[in-house]
Amino acid sequence: MAALNDWQERLEETALEPVRRTGRRFWAVVVTLVAIIGWGVYAYIVQLRDGLVVTGMRDRISWGLYIATFVFFIGISHAGTLISAILRVSNARWRTPVTRMAEFVTVVALICGASFVIIDLGRPDRLLNVFIYGRWQSPIIWDVLAITTYLTASVTYLFVPMIPDLALFRDRLADRSSRWRGWLYRTLAIGWHDRPAQRRSLGSAIGVLMILIIPIAVSVHTVVSWIFAMTMRVPWDSALFGAFFVAGAIFSGIAILIIVMAILRRAYHLEEYVTEKHFVYLGYLMAAFAAIMIYANISELLVHGYKLREGVEFHFRQLFLNEFAPLFWFYLLGGLIAPIVIALVPATRNVGGMVAAAVLVTLAMWIERYFIVVTGLRVPLMPYEPASYAPTWVEWSLLAAGLAAFALLITVFTKLFPIIAVWEVAEDHEATVANAGAAIPTVAIPAVDGPRLAEEGGR
Amino acid sequence: MKAITRRSTRIVAGLLAGCAILVAFAGPTIASHVHVSVATVDEVAIGETVAIPVALRGTDGSPLAGTVVTFYLHMAFAGVEGEAEIGRVVTDDSGVASLTYRPRLAGHHELRIEYLAAGAAEVETTSAVIEVTGGAQLYRSPAGVDVPGVGVELLMVVLATVWTILFWVVLRIVAIARAGGEAGEVGLEARR
Repeated sequence: MAALNDWQERLEETALEPVRRTGRRFWAVVVTLVAIIGWGVYAYIVQLRDGLVVTGMRDRISWGLYIATFVFFIGISHAGTLISAILRVSNARWRTPVTRMAEFVTVVALICGASFVIIDLGRPDRLLNVFIYGRWQSPIIWDVLAITTYLTASVTYLFVPMIPDLALFRDRLADRSSRWRGWLYRTLAIGWHDRPAQRRSLGSAIGVLMILIIPIAVSVHTVVSWIFAMTMRVPWDSALFGAFFVAGAIFSGIAILIIVMAILRRAYHLEEYVTEKHFVYLGYLMAAFAAIMIYANISELLVHGYKLREGVEFHFRQLFLNEFAPLFWFYLLGGLIAPIVIALVPATRNVGGMVAAAVLVTLAMWIERYFIVVTGLRVPLMPYEPASYAPTWVEWSLLAAGLAAFALLITVFTKLFPIIAVWEVAEDHEATVANAGAAIPTVAIPAVDGPRLAEEGGR
Repeated sequence: MKAITRRSTRIVAGLLAGCAILVAFAGPTIASHVHVSVATVDEVAIGETVAIPVALRGTDGSPLAGTVVTFYLHMAFAGVEGEAEIGRVVTDDSGVASLTYRPRLAGHHELRIEYLAAGAAEVETTSAVIEVTGGAQLYRSPAGVDVPGVGVELLMVVLATVWTILFWVVLRIVAIARAGGEAGEVGLEARR
């Protein structure tokens, strides 16, 4: 019992550590990220002042880096859904130390992704046109509805399982932190005192949310794919696009989660809780989704290539042989084949190997989104010379600022909120110890009183 | 001798130039053995159907029946200019080929009319101009397949269901807060 209490105490201290201490390295990271965002703000001001002509986008290629990055961010927002919701539904206990990080990634990626649509509009006031002139029949409206619903559900899904941990912060940091922090934790903990009635409400809320959020997340990326698939462009003419986008989203979401996990594990010394097992299991999932992506690519490319409708030949040449060939082959070999090899080879089946695979996948999936957008628009609709597109410094700056904003928001979140789901990890640990005790009858493990929250959520 | 040669050269050159001018003016008249007349079309509005009759007669005034008349419209789109064939009509017994045309764009429409009369060696052309006014939108997408129950209503039902469930979750959060409040009050009373 004493060992269990010590373990619990250590876990709570680890969760509280980022909030209690802030080193120079943290501020250096924040200053760097703020500087990048500042440069991005300057680029955005230039774009607002001079118009979208400062970008590489023109009449024929009217979507570029911004929309590719929007699709990329919406894709990685699926990390939270998969890890937290799907693994919670399937009662995979190993998920507990990484769920909170995954949920952070979801919310932050959605915020960053949505901002790229506004950046792409040129004039942000045009956003109002969606509400003034929007038509229910338009996939753009479906997209707005799906993303706002997903953002609301994701914020709720981040908040609800965090309530007991916020109460822990409220109690443990009382009179030891600044006033505003005390007020923040008191408010967000909404009077959590671990009462049976509260446990029941929390369990049922988590149970409903984890089921609800899966179809919402699937709908989001399906609708994003329809923006392309419902446009009259030969390379986008595919009924497979929805499933292809959802698979790609989960694939890139896992990759980003592995990278975020590795950084936070190192920065906040979470080695005891976020172990090699978590990286390897996520690596297996990533490899499985790489296989699904390979299947989807073969199906898509073979069907298009076999029929070779007008425009497809041009599209295939630009992807496989000409302008985009080096990066496209990197996407196929480095982004889809390599992660499977890394997960299968025992020598690379470790934290370093999985992080390397995740970096490859992240790069490859961003390239894939860029290709979907740009190469699709590049195929000429009439007998004119194919248009060319090259992102300008404004677009690259805003991309860098978007990625910096993503990193900054995650960094700030880790300084305000518990990065580990303390109560879930503790319950999982208790269950593991209890199971071990059941297997070895000589060790006496006291019974845990009351209903278990994780199990209630699972029910 | 030199003066005679120069004079002869001038005379020959003058005769040749005169012949060239004569051929230039009289050539088409000599070549063409068809009289063509295109009825003037008044100003029409977008979407209005208009007939463009072309009458072909031989030099003796007899109608040229069975001649194929092709109508071309000069167009410009997306930086590409050219002629688009808009119709092909065969002249009737009275030598008239009438094209029924429905202009879809406002502006100055230049038509080139081409025909090859029986016995003629070369294709002959004439032209016509139509002024089209108005700004009506003629292109309307078809209504599509109306599947009962699949439409905006279905989208509303799905959205309402999702947001109702989310609202229920919010009520659970309120329940947690209320239970916490009651627990706090019980604690306060116990302390008193």
